[in-house]
Amino acid sequence: MPPELPARMGEWVIGTEPGTVLCCIGLGSCIGLALIDRRTRMAGLAHVMLPEAPASTGTRPSQPDKFADHAVPNLIAAMIERGSARHRLEAVLVGGAQMFRSEPSRPGLSSRDIGARNEAAVREQLGKARIPVRAAATGGGKGRSMRVHVPAGEVVYKEAAGLPITLLEADADTLRMAA
Amino acid sequence: MSTYTETQLDALRELANIGSGQAAAALSTMLGHPVDISVPTAAAMELADAVAVAGEADASCHGILVPIVGDFEAAVVLLVPDDDAQQLCDVYGLDPHSEDGASFLQEIGNILGTSYINVLAEMCGMDMEPAPPQVVYDMLGAILASVLLARDETADMALVLDSALTVEGRPCSLSFLLIPAGGGVHELLGRIGVA
Repeated sequence: MPPELPARMGEWVIGTEPGTVLCCIGLGSCIGLALIDRRTRMAGLAHVMLPEAPASTGTRPSQPDKFADHAVPNLIAAMIERGSARHRLEAVLVGGAQMFRSEPSRPGLSSRDIGARNEAAVREQLGKARIPVRAAATGGGKGRSMRVHVPAGEVVYKEAAGLPITLLEADADTLRMAA
Repeated sequence: MSTYTETQLDALRELANIGSGQAAAALSTMLGHPVDISVPTAAAMELADAVAVAGEADASCHGILVPIVGDFEAAVVLLVPDDDAQQLCDVYGLDPHSEDGASFLQEIGNILGTSYINVLAEMCGMDMEPAPPQVVYDMLGAILASVLLARDETADMALVLDSALTVEGRPCSLSFLLIPAGGGVHELLGRIGVA
């Protein structure tokens, strides 16, 4: 078994060492965002919990990377610092499920479907950074786990008691462009 | 960010003890088997740790969610591993993965959640109502993370009261979690005099 590098809730990880497997285990309403750079053979994986940090406090949130509006730019910046480039990054999204029917909403909350809001927030951040989403397995009502294989950039996910499904083939684009 | 003193955690543990005792008695009547409860734990943890201590994040289990509404917003969550759900359902000759099995598990959630919450409501003089339970079969981590995040979007810490129930004569156990949403806990602690 190759060494697994888990992205825990509200954290991100970057893998450059060949044979490393980045993973998010048990994604429900959370989003696992994989960023792949095929040139430098680097991959990043963020485990995003919520759409955006509360604006009112004014102070830096204590765990900023649990929010899409911090985690996505922070992961991009960290990958660039390690030698990647924004224009080479490709994204894959997994998660954002609604496992339980939403309950009567409390005042001040637009929607209880955190999964859908998480996906929208992550896509918005990727749009701002002009990073294309190559594949996604999002929404629905089932939890998922995902794994990102370094260096090939293969992204695989599975649902509870399900079989692994490949979302992004190893070096898919590179092969297609060479052909 | 919420933190709790040892005295407050002790008081919450005692509430959980009384609540789960009542819940165990109700389950015992339903199943016709004695039901034991463990001494509950009460801990405030980072969300990621709360999920990690519950078990393997990708382990498949039956999750029964009983939302609590009223003065005190919370969630009661039962986590039942598949073998243990099979043992429970066997009492009535049901398959936990069938529709009848799921509705049986839902009923277990209803009985446990209602009896637990009624005790809390009585002791604290607060209005608490269980909403209809929902049952899923999914990854433990995904179930728990979704419930924790839906309770309170601003919290960094989760307060988790955990009891384990064991059904005698049937080798089966299940975890019983009470996850209060933000402000309600302090109100509840105030009512029992340990604010």
